[in-house]
Amino acid sequence: MLPMTPKSNRARALQGMQAMLPLLPGIIPFGLIAGLTPITLGYHWTDSMMASLWMFAGASQLATYQLISEDASLWVILMTVAAINLRYVLYSASMAPYLSAAPRSLRLLAGYSLTDQIYAIAHRDYPTTDWGLQERLAYYFGGSLVIWLLWQLCVLTGALIGQVVPVVWSLEFMIPLTFLALGLNTLKTPAHRVAALTGATVSYIGLEAPLNLGLIAGAVAGISAGLITRRLSRAP
Amino acid sequence: MHPEFLWTVAACALVTVTLKSSFIEGSRYIRLPRWFVDALEFVPPAVLVALVVPGLFKGQTGLESVMGAVAFDPRLAGAGAACIAFFLTQRTVPTLLTGMAGLYLGYWLQI
Repeated sequence: MLPMTPKSNRARALQGMQAMLPLLPGIIPFGLIAGLTPITLGYHWTDSMMASLWMFAGASQLATYQLISEDASLWVILMTVAAINLRYVLYSASMAPYLSAAPRSLRLLAGYSLTDQIYAIAHRDYPTTDWGLQERLAYYFGGSLVIWLLWQLCVLTGALIGQVVPVVWSLEFMIPLTFLALGLNTLKTPAHRVAALTGATVSYIGLEAPLNLGLIAGAVAGISAGLITRRLSRAP
Repeated sequence: MHPEFLWTVAACALVTVTLKSSFIEGSRYIRLPRWFVDALEFVPPAVLVALVVPGLFKGQTGLESVMGAVAFDPRLAGAGAACIAFFLTQRTVPTLLTGMAGLYLGYWLQI
């Protein structure tokens, strides 16, 4: 194999950026919503920006804002964020063979940068190439940089829009609508539909439960119902 | 700046980066159990739809807090409209826009 040159790293970074381009339009509305909803709930645009810079995970940012506005306890907020972000554990496991030899600082940066989008392209391209570690990192960070920049820009734009949009527009309603759209998009099989229906029903029954525990109960019940349905439908 | 908001967000960010980094950091020490991988598939439908419920039934919209409450919660009209739009188009942005339109229409029809 040829020795690693900065030139090939630059080429990989550009390749990562290019591979990311088709996935970018999809994040724009979510970035705008994630930016403006904290403002509609009474927070400052700098709060919204900080949250997005620290978390860099759209759906869990929205869940955090909604639950803060409902005065949920910290534990419920953290459990919900963990549930929404559990998929990253799977992504992380599938990226590990390609990235875990990197130095610690880069590994942490790769962890922070992990998104559905970078996972999609890296998971597609790593197995079919014979890139070395540096090239893989260059590809990963090239793609991640583009989506990170666009996401933060959309959040900033959304936050600034939020500063001037009157309360009466009720743009905070975009949060449940976003969850609805994302949720409907996951109803691929009967087992998924059972999971969603059970989750919603238990969450509704538990609406008045203390500490927003109805939500956690709904999530657990929904996941269990999905698993049971899947098992029953596979039984002979 | 709201310190309380930011502390909560910082804790959430810590959870997020821990999960994202989990295996990249520690793949030599942990293996994913089978039940975990199986359950993961049902996390998005269960959690996302469970999250819609308090968003529809708790508190009230800015619309009602400024313009006054109405008998039938306009959020339900918005959610219904969003569902119809999703099943017709299968796309996110039309779903969101129709949902907002449904909310406004649901309110306007009652004043």
